[in-house]
Amino acid sequence: MRHYEIVFLVHPNQSEQVPAMIERYTGVITGADGQIHRLEDWGRRHLAYPINNAHKAHYVLMNVECSQEALDELENLFRYNDAVLRSMVIRRKEAITEVSPIKAAEAREERKPRRDEKPAAEAKQEAPAEAKSEEASAE
Amino acid sequence: MARFFRRRKFCRFTAEGVQEIDYKDLDTLKGYVTETGKIVPSRITGTKARYQRQLATAIKRARFIALLPYTDGHK
Repeated sequence: MRHYEIVFLVHPNQSEQVPAMIERYTGVITGADGQIHRLEDWGRRHLAYPINNAHKAHYVLMNVECSQEALDELENLFRYNDAVLRSMVIRRKEAITEVSPIKAAEAREERKPRRDEKPAAEAKQEAPAEAKSEEASAE
Repeated sequence: MARFFRRRKFCRFTAEGVQEIDYKDLDTLKGYVTETGKIVPSRITGTKARYQRQLATAIKRARFIALLPYTDGHK
């Protein structure tokens, strides 16, 4: 049994199907004696670039522990499901259960949407400032 | 004559003792890509080689699942 991290993107028009899809995929994993360590639904997010003319997608993150066969089946399901725009599977060394930064940011935004935007904007400005110090070891 | 004072570069990940750079941590990643979407070289940011490699994979993963753009030319 290995640990994997799976992210898949569902077409926004098929957003209502997501709970059913999650159920089906978890069924595949648990049916093959696998385990789900983390399951996050990031909801509909804006894409950084359009995929198949879709500008938004429904993101789901799963951290699972399963056999190769179960993973193969899962990847097959992704491939032949037209609603899945894209999927990514990453091998992980151990089970990850803490909340991901994206979900955490989402929760923060819900609580106070105003104050949250400021630090993000400041973080962005940090890169150009650092770029200015280019080629400078100064010592 | 042109001796400007420049802030010393430092590696944020070394300073913070980061275990692994997460491709989902957009706030961090955004600090290491240019406006055009390129990965900023470590010679400019001062990131240590070990973390620059992690950073590159993290950014590429984030790009693949459309969390970050490949370029600013996406239409």
